Amino acid sequence: MTLSPDEARELAVRAVEIATSAGAGHAEAVVIASEHSLTRFADSRIHQNVSTLDAVVSVRAIDGQRSGVSSTNRTSDESALAECCASAIDAARRAPADPFFPGLPQPRTVTSPDRSVDSTRAFGPRERAQAVAAIIEQSVTRGAKAAGGIAVTDQTVAVANSRGVAVSMPVTTYRATVLSMAPDGGSGWASDTGRDVRALAPAALGDRAATLAARSADPVTLGAGVYPVVLAPEAVASVMEMLGWFGSSAKAVDEGRSFMSGHAGERLMSPSITLVDDALSEHACGLTFDFEGMPKQRVAVVDHGVVGDAVTDSYWAARTGRPNTGHALPAPNAFGPLPMDLALEPGDSTPEAMIASLDRGIYVTRFHYVNIEDPIRAVLTGMTRDGTFLIEGGRLTRPVRNLRFTQSAVEALAAVGGVSAERQLVGEETATLSPYLLLEGFAFTGQTT
Amino acid sequence: MRGFTASCLDSATSAGATYADVRVTDTRTERLSMRNGTPEGIETASSLGFGVRVVSDGAWGFASSSDLSEGSASTVARQAVAIARASALVCARGVRLADVPAFEDAWSGACDIDPFSVSLEEKLAVLEAADAAMRAQKGVSLALSSMSFLSSAKTFASTEGSFIEQRWVESSAGIVAYAIEGADVFPRSYPNSLGGGCYQAGWEAILGLDLAVHAPRIAEEAVALLEAADCPSGPATLVIGGSQLALQVHESVGHPTELDRVLGDEAAFAGTSFLRLEDLGTLRYGSDLVSVTADATIPGSLGSFGYDDEGVPAQRDFLIRDGLLSGFLTSRESAPAIGRASNGCMRADGWSKTPLVRMTTISLEPGDAGTLDDLIADTDEGLYFDTNSSWSIDDRRLNFQFACEAAWEIKGGKLGRMMRRPNYTGITPVFWGSCDAICSPSEWTVWGLDNCGKGEPMQTAHVAHGAAPARFRGVEAGVGR
Repeated sequence: MTLSPDEARELAVRAVEIATSAGAGHAEAVVIASEHSLTRFADSRIHQNVSTLDAVVSVRAIDGQRSGVSSTNRTSDESALAECCASAIDAARRAPADPFFPGLPQPRTVTSPDRSVDSTRAFGPRERAQAVAAIIEQSVTRGAKAAGGIAVTDQTVAVANSRGVAVSMPVTTYRATVLSMAPDGGSGWASDTGRDVRALAPAALGDRAATLAARSADPVTLGAGVYPVVLAPEAVASVMEMLGWFGSSAKAVDEGRSFMSGHAGERLMSPSITLVDDALSEHACGLTFDFEGMPKQRVAVVDHGVVGDAVTDSYWAARTGRPNTGHALPAPNAFGPLPMDLALEPGDSTPEAMIASLDRGIYVTRFHYVNIEDPIRAVLTGMTRDGTFLIEGGRLTRPVRNLRFTQSAVEALAAVGGVSAERQLVGEETATLSPYLLLEGFAFTGQTT
Repeated sequence: MRGFTASCLDSATSAGATYADVRVTDTRTERLSMRNGTPEGIETASSLGFGVRVVSDGAWGFASSSDLSEGSASTVARQAVAIARASALVCARGVRLADVPAFEDAWSGACDIDPFSVSLEEKLAVLEAADAAMRAQKGVSLALSSMSFLSSAKTFASTEGSFIEQRWVESSAGIVAYAIEGADVFPRSYPNSLGGGCYQAGWEAILGLDLAVHAPRIAEEAVALLEAADCPSGPATLVIGGSQLALQVHESVGHPTELDRVLGDEAAFAGTSFLRLEDLGTLRYGSDLVSVTADATIPGSLGSFGYDDEGVPAQRDFLIRDGLLSGFLTSRESAPAIGRASNGCMRADGWSKTPLVRMTTISLEPGDAGTLDDLIADTDEGLYFDTNSSWSIDDRRLNFQFACEAAWEIKGGKLGRMMRRPNYTGITPVFWGSCDAICSPSEWTVWGLDNCGKGEPMQTAHVAHGAAPARFRGVEAGVGR
């Protein structure tokens, strides 16, 4: 069993005390304690089944405008904690000064809703195996094979600093995935994620994937070209995460490496696109404070197609003159602030209406291995997988062999034909709430064999 | 340590395990990064823990903990057995493991100068010099430099009688100069992108990189890219540099030859492979010039070790010989599927993870085309691509697309003007089939890669790839223009 919120907070406060007593001008401690369990299955059998228990305390020591960080997972060993603090202090004393370092943040009020659920915490290996059996059955009875996993995480995070920050929060999450592979080469995918595993309906999840797999048999080839696409939530999440993770950080924007750089207040996308990061949303699964203990704010990265605000932490807020939006990662953080609860605001369409509106187009269940080729234009490349279909005459008709796309996400999101009201949470700790999207032009540049 | 590992194994067998192994891993890391002359992070970390892997009722279970008390040994071992028994509820066939002898041994990687004995000031001085040299170039708006070090001690013991202790050190460093202007962002890296140069070695490896010496060149090239022409679109003859080719080997040979992927174990996450068991010895993977080895015995390589995480000795094996598929990367469980013993590729990302089939040092064997200059001189028209900037490949490892930091035109056997935003795409066996020249051993370099992701929960493996520049005909370049 992992640490309770009180235990984690006390450990963080204790580490701060040790560091300041040992000579740190100021100090911050982050405790991440977790029990993570995962049952994986493939070829319709459980082939990996793991559980791990760990707790790490990370100490940031401050000496003027110098800082050093050290971490250890020997959290119940006082000498190891002292050694960790001494190492952070030593690094801080010998590091060059950072003239932009604003100091550790002062405490702010944090809303900490209870996002841990006992039923998820108690979902042990037997329960996971039973759920896996129900998922697999849907494929096996149709002559297909199933692969996937059910993961359960019970995590407590605490942050304390010498200015008085002392927050902690428990979070439980589950994630179930299933890939159904039909003997004729078709494949289908379904996933579910949330805080309370009682919401998981394994047979229904398995059925969704198996139905898609059966429908994906005997795919046709399709020439490269620009097509209208209906993207299912998993595919939408891949695009939004690339924009959010690599584009919405104040650091990337300041460095001129983001699609947002130099475009503040400019309309780059369709008015139907509003991309926010909102840890306080009822759908969100993660922490409501960041790794400096600051409250996470709702940030509209793109607001009705107009370039909005970048996410910040204390360093990049001070450096760029923006408010601190509470998006710090654990120090030291060369990546910059990061949105972890992205959501694309819903529209009023349905996936059925989107498909019905197209005479010819492509339906994409999900993307695979998406990467950035050009960060400013947000040119992405990746593959489709596990359910790609031709749309003809307003209907899903034939399955299509997996396609490669090379497309500017910014340009694709400038011409949006519809956003669904229905949304799905995709991911796990950094889950993205995604609707279906109809994009009027999407460049497919190749196809697999 | 023997007492602790014995306690784990005894508890597992008492609880009903028919096989058990335990790994205790103690890892220490240090990372330093600098951005435009300002330190961005100075961090040390230590992690100690153990993982117990068992077979019970014919199924796998794995549990791990950072609590190394005597009581925890028993608790975690019994938890692993309980997990295995749950696995057995949905496990149609029992686990069978290829035989491996029991070993009592100790192994350590080469390290001349312990990087943890080098002062922080000396390390920072290396980064500061490189940083200053990059920013001395007008037009460089962002200079990044970093170095990292790892020291790891691992003890493996199994119910079959093995007790193996291993120690090694890794050192990595790299620099990146960015030229950023309007809608253009051009990085140039040395000695490689994606973390720089990564070695199983000590501080001597960092000194050997001469970061500050190479900084002006990459800075100048980054700025030059602002004025360069875009890489043309269409089929082209490509001469691909060693570091990019290393990643090409990684994605289009290393991953597809992982036998667990071929058998479908990674289907839902990273995907499967276009290879089938029956392709062994028959599938033409590339031209006759293409031979690829898996070698965990190369001194100084990030993919080297004494024994894998099943206690199988490190070895060298052919994956592709003279263009034909001749082997897979295997484990004790997967190897029997091809009627062979394990070639020792099971590795875990630390104590908290169960081992998976991972790459070792997967290398394109050198050819006889001479130096890079010789190869370019032998190329009438084409493009020279250098240093990866983006990578993507489909879930069966067939359709790939790579982007590089820079390219140069080749005309009449000479390098011409620089070209920006180069990328290329292809289908794995077609691409390797188009290889008509590989540079000689003098150009062959082992490139370490410390970010190979696989598995759930995600595991990051440290692997490596030997490669020399090589030439490929008729490759589709300039995609998406």
